[in-house]
Amino acid sequence: MNLIGAGLACSVGLTGAASAAGLALPRRSRATGVGVLTAALGAAGVVVGVAALSGRTFSACLPDVLPLAGVYLGVDALSGLFITVAGAVVLAVAVYGIGYHGHGHDPGRAASALFPLFALAMLLVPAAASVSTFLVCWELMAVTSLLLVLTEHRRREQVREAGLWYAVMTQLGFVLILFALVWLAAAAHGETFAAIRAAAGHLSPAVRGTVFVLALVGFGSKAGIVPLHAWLPRAHPEAPSPVSALMSAVMVNLGVYGLIRVGMGLLGGGPRWWWLLAMAAGAVSAVYGILQASVTSDLKRLLAYSTTENMGLIVLGVGAAGLFGSAGKPQLAGIALAAALLHVVTHSAFKALLFAGAGSVLRATGTRDLDALGGLRQAMPVTTAAFAVGALGAAALPGGAGFVSEWLLLQSLIHGLAVPGIVVSVVLPIAVAAVALSAGLAVATFVKALGTGFLARPRSDGAARAAESPATMLAAMLMLAGAATVLAVAPGLAGSWLARAVAGVTPVGPAVADAVRTKLTVLGSTMSPLVVVAGTVGVTVVLAGLLRLVVGVRRRAVPLWDCGAGPPSARMQYTATSFAEPLQRVFDDVLAPESDVDVTPVVESAYLVERVSYHRVVPDRIEHRLYAPVLIAVRWCGERARALANGSVHRYLGYAFSSLVILLVALAAVK
Amino acid sequence: MSGTMVTGTTTTGAGIAVSVLQVALTVVGAPLLVGMMRQVRARMEGRAGAGVGQPWRDLRKLMRKKPLDPHGTGPVFRTAPLIQVATTLMVAAAIPFVSVDTGVGEAADLIAVVALLTLGTAALALAGLDTGTAFGGMGASREMTITALAEPTVLMAAFALSTRVGSTNLPAIVDAGLKDAGRVVSPVSVLAAFALAAVVLAEAGRLPVDNPSTHLELTMVHEAMVLEYSGPDLALVELAAAMRLSVLLGLWSALFLPWGTATSTGVLAVLGATALFVVKVGVLGAVLAAGEVFMAKLRLFRVPELLAGSFLLAVLAVAASFFLE
Amino acid sequence: MSGAASVQVLDFACGVFLLAGVGALWRRALSAVIGLLAVQGAALAVVAAALGADEHHPELYAVAAGVGVLRAGVLPGLARRALAASGEDRESEPLVNVASSLLVAAALVLLAYAVAQPLARLEGSQGSRALPVGLASVLIGLFMLVARRKALSQVAGFLLLDNGITAVAFLAAAGVPLLVEIGVSFDLLLVVLVLRVLTVRMQSAFGTTDLDDLRELHD
Repeated sequence: MNLIGAGLACSVGLTGAASAAGLALPRRSRATGVGVLTAALGAAGVVVGVAALSGRTFSACLPDVLPLAGVYLGVDALSGLFITVAGAVVLAVAVYGIGYHGHGHDPGRAASALFPLFALAMLLVPAAASVSTFLVCWELMAVTSLLLVLTEHRRREQVREAGLWYAVMTQLGFVLILFALVWLAAAAHGETFAAIRAAAGHLSPAVRGTVFVLALVGFGSKAGIVPLHAWLPRAHPEAPSPVSALMSAVMVNLGVYGLIRVGMGLLGGGPRWWWLLAMAAGAVSAVYGILQASVTSDLKRLLAYSTTENMGLIVLGVGAAGLFGSAGKPQLAGIALAAALLHVVTHSAFKALLFAGAGSVLRATGTRDLDALGGLRQAMPVTTAAFAVGALGAAALPGGAGFVSEWLLLQSLIHGLAVPGIVVSVVLPIAVAAVALSAGLAVATFVKALGTGFLARPRSDGAARAAESPATMLAAMLMLAGAATVLAVAPGLAGSWLARAVAGVTPVGPAVADAVRTKLTVLGSTMSPLVVVAGTVGVTVVLAGLLRLVVGVRRRAVPLWDCGAGPPSARMQYTATSFAEPLQRVFDDVLAPESDVDVTPVVESAYLVERVSYHRVVPDRIEHRLYAPVLIAVRWCGERARALANGSVHRYLGYAFSSLVILLVALAAVK
Repeated sequence: MSGTMVTGTTTTGAGIAVSVLQVALTVVGAPLLVGMMRQVRARMEGRAGAGVGQPWRDLRKLMRKKPLDPHGTGPVFRTAPLIQVATTLMVAAAIPFVSVDTGVGEAADLIAVVALLTLGTAALALAGLDTGTAFGGMGASREMTITALAEPTVLMAAFALSTRVGSTNLPAIVDAGLKDAGRVVSPVSVLAAFALAAVVLAEAGRLPVDNPSTHLELTMVHEAMVLEYSGPDLALVELAAAMRLSVLLGLWSALFLPWGTATSTGVLAVLGATALFVVKVGVLGAVLAAGEVFMAKLRLFRVPELLAGSFLLAVLAVAASFFLE
Repeated sequence: MSGAASVQVLDFACGVFLLAGVGALWRRALSAVIGLLAVQGAALAVVAAALGADEHHPELYAVAAGVGVLRAGVLPGLARRALAASGEDRESEPLVNVASSLLVAAALVLLAYAVAQPLARLEGSQGSRALPVGLASVLIGLFMLVARRKALSQVAGFLLLDNGITAVAFLAAAGVPLLVEIGVSFDLLLVVLVLRVLTVRMQSAFGTTDLDDLRELHD
């Protein structure tokens, strides 16, 4: 048993211990006990992942654990990348949870015990090496996350609705994945990934295509790809903040993992249309996600929509990789896939950080409405700084983690011109435009989040009373901020790991791995990030020094410009809603916002106004257009089906009996 | 991937000297450019004008004042002008204004340059929001909307220009243009030039997108954002705005009028290229100023039309680069 | 004119042709739209002349002259007089707003390139490389017919469409027979005259040239 096996065994043991601690420890020490053990679990995950990324592999078969099928585990470099990310985020979030749960937000025994299980499931999904193992781990992850989303269902009505949406969507997704993988296993006459990989090349194109589409939809729903994103902006905001951080930074990644594993690993790539479909879904998700994020004023909802955007960019990258691969350009494919994987890593870092920051804000102020926040930089300086680092990453500006991966993604798209064909030459410009528009809107979105949420003056009493978070939460945020910064300035450090992960799935030789490594090393050593960031920071510091020399240190405080009408009050500030108004007007046709203005006149006069109230809702239009008819149809079917159930037990037994007979008859007929 | 790096892979001492020269040129020349443009405008409107050196005199006056902190503003408000100046200086060092052999090497990437300028804009927008006034927020909101919508055009034009070179590296693009004049007058280049021209106007806050000399609340964009700045801070903001304009004009001329840019770091070549660069940017500025006399500011919600039009031109440039080559 | 030079002129004229078409969609002022149509007509004439020089068909010069006079002079002139008669110079509220129209136009141009590429490759001559330009103009013209309200905008869309068809004919088959071209042009002249009369009558009947008002005739 090598390091990986030992690490996995260790993490299972730690999960048991952490869950037991969650159930057994008294309330006072529960958060600390669970947090420390879960952090250790995360650390074990990081060890496993890094070992796999450094070139070790592991495979094991435990025939006795699952009846009939047995458990097959296998860890390669691609699994290692996702396990490392999951482990690192679990580590940071567990530390964060000590402070979050220990000071006022106690989730209760059950949720405390489930949290480590959820973490373990996310570590095990990439380690599964057979269809049944994968599905069991996947379902474990889905169920534990659902129960965790419902933690606060007694406190808020919306949690139940969010839970319902999440339950339905995630189970539908699971059913599709189940169909895809079981079909694949049946067609390949074997359910281990190795057997499927060996047989996949000989399957008929129709089977392969159907399996891919089912997998794309199923995994896409987990990754929050439009139009299957509807659960994401509901479930992520309503879950407790550590859980939202894990869901948004790690769980969604596994949708991408599944897509890469099935589409590229098991099926070994496919025809062009598969990948064009993936690219289209990715591009639409990227633009639509960030557009919704740019007009929402709920901080956690904004972050959830931004997750949809980033997952869209990643799926776009994966699709581009598949496209280049199918066109016989393995080098380009390698770079596009490396860009997508790098974005997985950077997104996890900054999104966990942003959700942790949002959780701290929620804990300190009791609201996540940006229109009611503001002025937090004085009361919560560390949280503000950490959130700023995360926002820089999410806005994909130099110095932020997202910049490097989006740059690499754009590079791979721009160089895709080498691929011949009209479709490619029409698709690539559109893809570049989608990435560019989403990058531009992301800047506006995160300027809004940081500027109206943390800067300026408090817009509500809750925001005015805010106080800084406990030390463990700050430590976790600083850890994540450090990781995001390292990724932003020296992504080359991860070059060889990424190259290994890429080489594992694309059917290409070591030449491509070398090319990817060179490209990323160049990126890390001589290309922009370090030069750009160091230069900008250096020049800023020098300028600040010069300014002090010239004008001195003392600065006099003066009132704000008030047009001579008395000091401006906090209510006169621009809110997040007003900040987003121009964008909302520009994209009016896409967003179809509903706003109404209520004017209450003074009783005697039609001209003197007593108060004006303005409401604006930006509904999720795709959801309205697509889901409402489906829901109505389902309800209609349900109403009709009620006639079948009249309450008679004999009738129900008769249904069961007749279906059994029909099944047997069908079997006999088929035989 | 055929990352054809023509120049700039190594950072040489002479290259760094070129970058320093470009930075110095930008700092000294940018206010003069603004002064010259105001002078052109004044003469065309039949006024005498304040002279080319007036922006420098303004800056000197502002630098002598005491620094003020408006109530309730924080570190973001104080550092934003510094960040904007710093990002613009970085860009000035990177773009091959006078020689393709700058000291920044591979960091002189077109996408990185655009992202750096956006970083400066974002910093100033945050400062606008930090003041907690209606004006600051309004300016920030408008500025970010325009920036967000300009981004697709920029990257699309970058796409069109870089496909034939096989790299988004600026020295490589300029070098290719120098070696083969046909590239610069090709349909791709001409379309991209028009597309980027609209973006330059938007990003530099010139007419018809924004009016740098207005202080009317309905029409302000950039000026609303920086309304609370005074004294030395305002001087930095003004300097950064002027440098941004010259850097953007310089970028445009480097991409579409590359002739005369030195391919080495020889002293004579660099000096000649410097003189030519000053002339090019000066002429572009004068043309812009003259054009502005005849132009009215667009309504804010007409700006997306302008940007959509420039995006269309950029798409045409890309289409042409795919199909006409 | 040497071969290389005529190809350069051809490329340039095609670029102007396409830009004028796009510009017609961009501008709201109808007088500017008509001006752009004249520019497009002139570009079309240059295309014909350059093709004639390239492939040594002297009769194409005559076609070029005819096209130039008709499309850069006569038709825009008629439209301008109709404009003066109607007294409305702005497409104030198009059915599809201008920004979206431009994005649609971008998509249409890409579509035109994608569709025409195999044809262009098949043909292989100098002119056929620019075939997508003509097709794009056809598509933009059709889109303008759909998306604009005013009768004169419809005329403009129709002219764009026809310029596009003519360009495609020139570029794909190195020129249509002179007789056909003359026939088509007369049809066109007739259409513009009819639309002009329609504009004037609508103006006097409804006080506007918004074609959606014609629905009233139905009731």
